Amino acid sequence: MSTSEAIRADAARLLAEGRAKLVIGYRARGPHRAPAFVSDPAGVDVLIYDNLCKQNLAVYLRKPEVRSRGPVAVVAPPAVMRSLVVLAAESQLTEATVLAVGPDAYHGVLDLAGAAALLKEKYADLAPSPELLEALAKLDAMSPQERARFWTDQFAKCTRCYACRAACPLCYCARCIVEKNVPQWISTAAAQHGNFAWQIIRAFHQAGRCTLCGACEAACPQGIPLMLLNLALSEEVAKQFGEKPGYDPAAKPVIGSWKPDDDQGFVR
Amino acid sequence: MAQTETKTAEAAAAFQPRIVAFVCNWCTYAGADLAGTSRLRYPPNVRIIKLPCTGRIDPLFILKAFEGGADAVLVSGCHPGDCHYTSGNYHARRRWALFRRLLDLTGIDERRLFFSWVSAAEGQKFADLVADITEKVRAAGPLEPANPARRRL
Repeated sequence: MSTSEAIRADAARLLAEGRAKLVIGYRARGPHRAPAFVSDPAGVDVLIYDNLCKQNLAVYLRKPEVRSRGPVAVVAPPAVMRSLVVLAAESQLTEATVLAVGPDAYHGVLDLAGAAALLKEKYADLAPSPELLEALAKLDAMSPQERARFWTDQFAKCTRCYACRAACPLCYCARCIVEKNVPQWISTAAAQHGNFAWQIIRAFHQAGRCTLCGACEAACPQGIPLMLLNLALSEEVAKQFGEKPGYDPAAKPVIGSWKPDDDQGFVR
Repeated sequence: MAQTETKTAEAAAAFQPRIVAFVCNWCTYAGADLAGTSRLRYPPNVRIIKLPCTGRIDPLFILKAFEGGADAVLVSGCHPGDCHYTSGNYHARRRWALFRRLLDLTGIDERRLFFSWVSAAEGQKFADLVADITEKVRAAGPLEPANPARRRL
């Protein structure tokens, strides 16, 4: 039985037994993969899973219109499971039913604890792509002026559509900092200073939380390499504090907790 | 060509860095005050902004300073263990450790962003610190035109 067939069978069973009233998964739309919302066991045939399924479906689980249809089950590759674990650590989810898939295997129906255990056992060393690591190393080798120019050019493309925010399961503030206007810290005009402040703060608000799923960059219609910012911060979080978010549902937030002996070599 | 070089050298000598210092009310501001009342001399390039605690210093403040044309930013507060609010500086320290990496990656490097602990008794340390970072920023030159955060109309 292929992974897609296994997902369909489990989805139909969950819906028929009433363990889930809504299954969120992937369906084909031409050469792309779109989210599928299935509430009827007869409709599970649209569900598929292959390596084109990149969207992070965890983004839907906090939405009130989805929650009100619950209980919900979600098709979850490792990136989605990690997002769910972070959401649980931040008290945004208490329980989740996942149809756990890996790049090479289907792991069946799991709860949150099961997903966390599976992540630790099988997907503990998910590494960023070599291309991304190489791009970051190349950027780090540039002079500060060259880096400033690189990002000025990149952020100049930003139209402030906030697709990056909408695609990210961890960008869930009811009122985003960019929408607060008394005082207005971040200009909403699609101009240099506002774009820079927005992109920096978006990345920084994910510091110690981002699981490098890549949903923000994939959603960006302008092709801004947001993962470079996310990766640099994730590496720093691992180096400075030894944390890798998305594995422990009881983890303390990296920013928001502290240790007396945190490194302060940079403080004079 | 020679003329341009002379002009550049003159501009470097005349360059007065604009440094914004975000300091906490309880330690560094009092330390700066002590430097003043002790008549210690330090460069007038630093603009001090007092906040209750380093824990109150949002990264947005630092961005705003660069947006407004600062050449460098100094953030300073109580030594670890001395925070008036017990742990504000510990929280801030974690935030800075990550934020400086992000700014470095985007072109505002470590010659532009300084962090320090200055207690209320360390007037001399504050004066020395400001003198030292002013020299460093002067050597680094103006952040413009390669200031990625700068407000442009």
